[in-house]
Amino acid sequence: MAEITAAIDEQGANDLFGAAIAALPPMSTSGASNLGPFTVSYSASATVTNGSVDLRPPGVIRIANLRLDWHVTFSFGVDLNDYLPPLHIPSACVDIPCVGEVCTPEIDIPWPSITIPVSFGDFVESDIDFTLSISQTGGQWRVEAVVQGVPNLEIGASTAAALLAAIALELDAIVTPIAGPFANIVVDAILGAIAIADLTGFLGPILTPFVSGLRIPIYNQPVNFEVLPAESPVDPAITITIDTLTADVQHNAPEDELVLTADISA
Amino acid sequence: MIDTFDSRALGRIDCFGQRFMRTGTYRYHLVPAAWAPATYEHPYTVEVGTRDKKRKETMATHTVQVRFDGKAFQPASERAAIEEGDLVIWHCPDARHVPLAVVGDKEFFGNRAMVNECGFSHAFAAAGEYAWVDAYGSGLAGVVRVKDPDCRTDDDFREWHRTLTAAKLVMITGSEADPAEVDILTGQTVYFAVTKSEGVSVTDRRLVRNRPEAE
Repeated sequence: MAEITAAIDEQGANDLFGAAIAALPPMSTSGASNLGPFTVSYSASATVTNGSVDLRPPGVIRIANLRLDWHVTFSFGVDLNDYLPPLHIPSACVDIPCVGEVCTPEIDIPWPSITIPVSFGDFVESDIDFTLSISQTGGQWRVEAVVQGVPNLEIGASTAAALLAAIALELDAIVTPIAGPFANIVVDAILGAIAIADLTGFLGPILTPFVSGLRIPIYNQPVNFEVLPAESPVDPAITITIDTLTADVQHNAPEDELVLTADISA
Repeated sequence: MIDTFDSRALGRIDCFGQRFMRTGTYRYHLVPAAWAPATYEHPYTVEVGTRDKKRKETMATHTVQVRFDGKAFQPASERAAIEEGDLVIWHCPDARHVPLAVVGDKEFFGNRAMVNECGFSHAFAAAGEYAWVDAYGSGLAGVVRVKDPDCRTDDDFREWHRTLTAAKLVMITGSEADPAEVDILTGQTVYFAVTKSEGVSVTDRRLVRNRPEAE
């Protein structure tokens, strides 16, 4: 029988996880990926908001509707020459009074390469299962809830469509002054090269690690700690040692509980 | 700033034309625009011969294509033979080139300051309103308004492309431009013909904004 046992029910677990998740710092990442035929450099940030804790013995804590608010900024380059032939300006002639006709030579104007910057944010909610991880490092006991497996974030078609609209807006703003009468054709062609599946395939690998790598600290305690200060030279401080620590999700009728047990020595 | 222009610094969609009214040998050099004031060598020539009286046209145009090898400019032919009254047009189509200047050995010959019987053309590749001025402060100024054509069908595109063969003319005499304002479609060319002046430029106003008044 453990010397110390602490237990909280689901409501307590909700409060505990709510506070622990609120204390998590914003997460960020950056890298390179592909968006359809385009190579993309991105940076992304995310924060997590607690959902509803469901203790599921044995050993599983499910947080329903765990919310990930995310924001991604990325840019990709487009060589407009891949989409348009060079702008061919034929020999242009003008008649100068009393002098004669002047004709300029034919000119082919190549199109520039452009960079499309996109900034977009949304949120995704998922039911995520956690298990408890107990470790002792650096004289400290740590109990954390760790995501079980790699969760499947459902990035919906509406998010992908909104991202595509954000890309279209940027494309319009950049391409129109350059491509003039060809702008609509180019914008449609570039957007046509990006399928909805490309967008979800682009976002998924960026956002999933924010959740799959989630570790929520639940309990931190030094292995040795003072429980009573020294009162006098003959009455020294009392220090105890936590020799073993366990954490589990148990069903103790009628409640499902998050249970922490410890064996101590003086 | 997608499309800018300056007659003193020729880009790949610019041309400079100089008419030669008298017989003789005129020497010139092709250099990066910033070098123009310090260019004293003139390795290339325009040989102007007597005009063939049987020829009907007032003026013939000779185009000198200019190449850029990454460091220097070179004309396709080092010697151009023309007749008096003819026009020579220089054009460097190389997309990599730095802005070009044609530096002649006579005061009237060159694009640094256009004096007489010369011209500068620019094909306006992007829609917008382009105010231009004489960077030397003569008060010469004008506006080119460029509008995108409303092209939806193949016929629309063909019709637009056909309009590109017609350039618009702006005549410059002294510090007056006629017309001072022109309206064109994207891709059309404006030819600024200088009949006589003290030495002017046709410079995108944005390139001289916030600078002290040029002398």
